[in-house]
Amino acid sequence: MYRLTDRFNKSLLAGLLLVFLAAGLRAEPEGQKGAAQEPVQATQMGSTAAAAGLFQDIEERSLSFSHSLDPARAGYYGLGEAATPEMIAGWDIDVRPDGQGLPPGSGTAEIGEPLYEKKCAECHGVFGEGAGRWPKLAGNEPLVGGGRPEKTVGNYWPYASTLWDYIHRAMPFLQPQSLTDSEVYAITAYVLYLNEIIEYDWELNQDNLATIAMPNRDGFFMDPRPDTRNVACMEGCKDPDTIKITWDSTRLGVTPVEHLQQSRATPLPGSAPQSGDKVYRQACGLCHDSGLGGAPAIGDKAAWAGRIAQGRELLIEHAINGFQGETGVMPPKGGQAQLSSDAVSAAVDYMLGRVGEG
Amino acid sequence: MTRHYNSETARLLGVIADEANKLPVSDRRDFLRKGVAMAGTAIAAATASGGALASNLPPNIPASNRSLGPGVVTNPYGQPSRFEGDVVRRTVPWLTANKISSISFSPLQELSGIITPNGLVFERYHAGVPTIDPSEHRLMIHGLVERPIVLTMDELMRFPSTSLIRFIECPANGGMEWRGAQMEALQFTHGMLSCCEWTGVPLSTLLQEVGAKPQGKWVLAEGADGAAMSRSIPIEKALDDTLVVFAQNGEALRPEQGYPVRLLNPGWEGNTSIKWLRRIEVGDKPWFHREETSKYTDLMPDGKARKFTWVQETNSVITSPCPEKPLRGRGRYELEGLAWSGRGRIKRVDVSFDGGVSWQQARLKGLVLPKALTRFSFEWSWKGNPALLQSRAIDETDYVQPTLTQLRQVRGVESIYHKNAIHTWKLAADGTVTNVQID
Repeated sequence: MYRLTDRFNKSLLAGLLLVFLAAGLRAEPEGQKGAAQEPVQATQMGSTAAAAGLFQDIEERSLSFSHSLDPARAGYYGLGEAATPEMIAGWDIDVRPDGQGLPPGSGTAEIGEPLYEKKCAECHGVFGEGAGRWPKLAGNEPLVGGGRPEKTVGNYWPYASTLWDYIHRAMPFLQPQSLTDSEVYAITAYVLYLNEIIEYDWELNQDNLATIAMPNRDGFFMDPRPDTRNVACMEGCKDPDTIKITWDSTRLGVTPVEHLQQSRATPLPGSAPQSGDKVYRQACGLCHDSGLGGAPAIGDKAAWAGRIAQGRELLIEHAINGFQGETGVMPPKGGQAQLSSDAVSAAVDYMLGRVGEG
Repeated sequence: MTRHYNSETARLLGVIADEANKLPVSDRRDFLRKGVAMAGTAIAAATASGGALASNLPPNIPASNRSLGPGVVTNPYGQPSRFEGDVVRRTVPWLTANKISSISFSPLQELSGIITPNGLVFERYHAGVPTIDPSEHRLMIHGLVERPIVLTMDELMRFPSTSLIRFIECPANGGMEWRGAQMEALQFTHGMLSCCEWTGVPLSTLLQEVGAKPQGKWVLAEGADGAAMSRSIPIEKALDDTLVVFAQNGEALRPEQGYPVRLLNPGWEGNTSIKWLRRIEVGDKPWFHREETSKYTDLMPDGKARKFTWVQETNSVITSPCPEKPLRGRGRYELEGLAWSGRGRIKRVDVSFDGGVSWQQARLKGLVLPKALTRFSFEWSWKGNPALLQSRAIDETDYVQPTLTQLRQVRGVESIYHKNAIHTWKLAADGTVTNVQID
């Protein structure tokens, strides 16, 4: 949900932020207002946490925790097939900060640079600056202090292993788990280089990745909640004359509210055949709006010419079943397997129409 | 509207033809003649006016009393009435870069009771919804265990199962409003929240079966989606109430909710309840993967961030009235809302009509279950005065839902997640309701 903040940065006006800050300075702790409130017992928070079974500092506590599993009952149900070392090796992809799980391999930022530019820069920017609302990767601005920078690998991520693990398990966005281990090392090295954490020609490998000290490695601490102490005052809890509305959501007008005015007799979605442009927006626009992942951008006659020459039927077949082309990959049905073939055909026709082939 | 009545007519004629085919030939002609005449009457009545038909209101006999409807299995899997067409999940497009890694909101303003229908449970995907054939799905459990296993869905479902009604909530619910109110509808202020009856096998049963070793302190759960979504979960939770779920509200999980199998960590932030679960590994340390370092950590004003912020603390909101459900004139109303706590049962909910100056205790109605949505109610009479409506929940640990001011004093405004503050609706003299923040 990190992108929420991203948008938040852009959606709220700087002036409004100042209004809030000013309001915040005037605010008093709730507990100091009104005479009818009871003092909070000093022990209340602790006993609350204990009663709730909260695990403060669990990371540390768990080292001495002895759970109540009974080894004698292992295999009681006898269900399932034994997971062989080969099966486990194929699926066990996770990597930890101490390097456990890293496969053999190596790469430098120098090797990673062209890979990054081909497979990552479209969303993350050539210098890791991020494109649109896709995540920014590089930058070392302080996290607090007024600038409200985005969190990056350089200013936020505590472990280099997380970068390797995530690139390997989930990137590139359109083709997860398509990179070789050495490609992952090289791209990881390049992102670390973009954040000025390693040198351009330093070889990253399975033995030294865990030794990298990330700038924000000490930036995290265990959740201390509950961290507020409201009391259930019933009468005279505030001076009514001091209540001010500090924010009214309608001032910004940034949320979709058409449905608040809609008639209740709107037919259910999906009851009519889906139009090509609707399917396009739902399934195709992610890549074809911009040409992401080597897709021919909508309306780009040059990009479409070669495809059109192959004939509509073949384009539809590729759109339905998927296709690996020279410039990129077309996932089956744009990755939206629930779409009918007719819906995909309609979307293809819509895109053809946009280059004058309708 | 024309298309609708045409299809309605076609359907009605289909029904008539269907029934006619079951009659002897001699009776069929007569039946058809009467049936077509009846359908014609229905069309005439329906097209007479766009809105409510006077001919369907007392003292007239409504058309539904004078016609037939579709027969059984016309819809083998039933759908809501077409008049409920605006009860749908919605998203706020600018929240995310695209719909594949995004979130939608449940229409809390339209729901009754505490159960969220399966088709309305909020969605959160990191790589879209994978299509998984259950016959090809496997759950691997390995790591610090005596006997690593791979389970088919059939095998998983042979373990003794249990069913729990529990809420699931994204920790970013309300997170757009740390600095100020900007969501103009309840669906968007609180809709990253749903509650279902979940059926599955306790993870403790599976960990016992594989012989988890004493040095195993954490489990890694991993999904079969394009993000291979992963989270580290402490063994205390895994042995407490974590469930390996295959059904919701009586039927198989919906694809959006992890079909064929997902994790459920009751009371904890939703992203720990890994969907499309394919692998559980037992280890001695947490993995610190992307979703527990770069995301789902809470940045504090001093530049340090809280990690492993699992619990969804006590929260509540008034669902009627709300921006989508304004008041229609003066008189008596039942104010309703939802309260929930990731630490246990809701003990009490208070409501205020004056922005928190005075409070009155609401009534809890229906089931009051731990870590489940709990519905509260307060009967009142609106005299047409503007008001500032609030609700304040208290859970069984005596934790009192905080004010936004209190939360900001401790956490600043940068933490994105876990905003569980008392929420304020401004009720205007014309009955409209607006999302506001007060000081």
